[in-house]
Amino acid sequence: MNVEKRAAFEPPAELVRPVAPPPDMRRPVSTGAGAVLVVLRVIAGVVWLIALAAQWDQVLEDDGGIDPESAEGVASYGVLVFILVFGAVVLLVQLLLAFAVYRGSNAARLTLMILATLSIMVSWLDYVAGREITIRTTLVTLALDILVLLALSSRAARSYAQRPRRGRGAPATATPVRTPRVG
Amino acid sequence: MGETPVAASETVDAPPPTRRFSLSAALDGFFFVFAGIASVWLAWLVLNESFGFGWWGIAFFVLFWLVLAYLVLPRLHRILTTIYVPDYFIGRARTSDGLLGDPVNLAVDGPEASVHAAMLAAGWTRADDVTLASSWRIVTGTLTRKSYDEAPVSPLFLFGRQQDFAYQQEVAGNPAKRHHVRYWRTPDGWLLPGGRRVDWLAAGTFDRAVGFSLFTLQVTHKIDADTDVERDHIVATVLGANPGARVHVLADFATGYHSRNGGGDTIRTDGDLPVIDVSDVPAPALAVTRGGDT
Repeated sequence: MNVEKRAAFEPPAELVRPVAPPPDMRRPVSTGAGAVLVVLRVIAGVVWLIALAAQWDQVLEDDGGIDPESAEGVASYGVLVFILVFGAVVLLVQLLLAFAVYRGSNAARLTLMILATLSIMVSWLDYVAGREITIRTTLVTLALDILVLLALSSRAARSYAQRPRRGRGAPATATPVRTPRVG
Repeated sequence: MGETPVAASETVDAPPPTRRFSLSAALDGFFFVFAGIASVWLAWLVLNESFGFGWWGIAFFVLFWLVLAYLVLPRLHRILTTIYVPDYFIGRARTSDGLLGDPVNLAVDGPEASVHAAMLAAGWTRADDVTLASSWRIVTGTLTRKSYDEAPVSPLFLFGRQQDFAYQQEVAGNPAKRHHVRYWRTPDGWLLPGGRRVDWLAAGTFDRAVGFSLFTLQVTHKIDADTDVERDHIVATVLGANPGARVHVLADFATGYHSRNGGGDTIRTDGDLPVIDVSDVPAPALAVTRGGDT
């Protein structure tokens, strides 16, 4: 007789079990909070970019050991412009993604979580390398990244982003009126 | 090892096999756990801040508690309990963090309309669902000391589902105390241990005070340890107000709980499970009125 013993724990695969939310699920608090937090994160990013531009000379001297008056220092303004443009594009994209998450997009949610994870990992490497993270330096942006990740990875936010939509591959059952917008 | 034995839990195998393991689901699992770990780090950083700002450090300490109690511990509990709390019926509801919640101490037979009719006749008020509007009403009600009879109850989970509805009775002039009972419809064809079929399972407990949860450190209602008193109160009020209702007791159904609920409160019970039959309670034609939905 072959009697399999049942394990005394559930398989960790439970954590990645696909969710089956109802199509008429209302937007959970975590989805809204996640979108708002991303907007706050964008604002923090704008502040950071402005601060960087305003203190560029000092950053050059302190971190790069470059005299801002030298030819090298003048050329570095090209780097600054590049950072500002690149940062602005990234922030703009994040803003659009925040809106998409609010509307319930799963791709936008995953993209934002990847961005937040990368940002957190960079902060972690800085921290391990000995840079202090306090409220005066990067704690606020790091905290926002972690909060975004917590909110968007929650089960409710995940269910909402993966809820079945009407009219996408669904059989044409009677849906005479457009889905009314709630709220 | 040979082939993997088929998991006993049906819920794992329920979805179509192709959807069993998608990239999106794997990413979600990773982010779920990674966010939990990152939040521990965040709590640590915030705690460090509280040492550096003199009296302002107290504000950071409160912030640390908020992060710990409402973000870190729930997420860690969710990750761990997913793995170590068995996901089949053990006579207990589970909190949204996966911890063991109130004991299931009541069963009901009969259609939903009859359950509503019997509870309303017995002087119970149906609790609103947790929404932004009802949460806001709790806040304003607390500030203006206006009572909110249909205040929502926290979600508890059975069969992987939040309660279908809940009823409560206010204790005059004391928002910290209230009777409440949550109802779950049992899955089709599902039998209680022992083989009895019931339509509804319910968990009735009495909130006696507001306090801190032992496991998550959140502010929560503490329930009365003697859950039998509340159970018998529900049965007595329903039978007293509904001549058509009958009760059958499954004696010693869960004898000998000496355990804790999700908030860390002790639970004591004699283990009897009353099964109330409300099938013969006349139900007004779908006139289940809901308060608060304006």
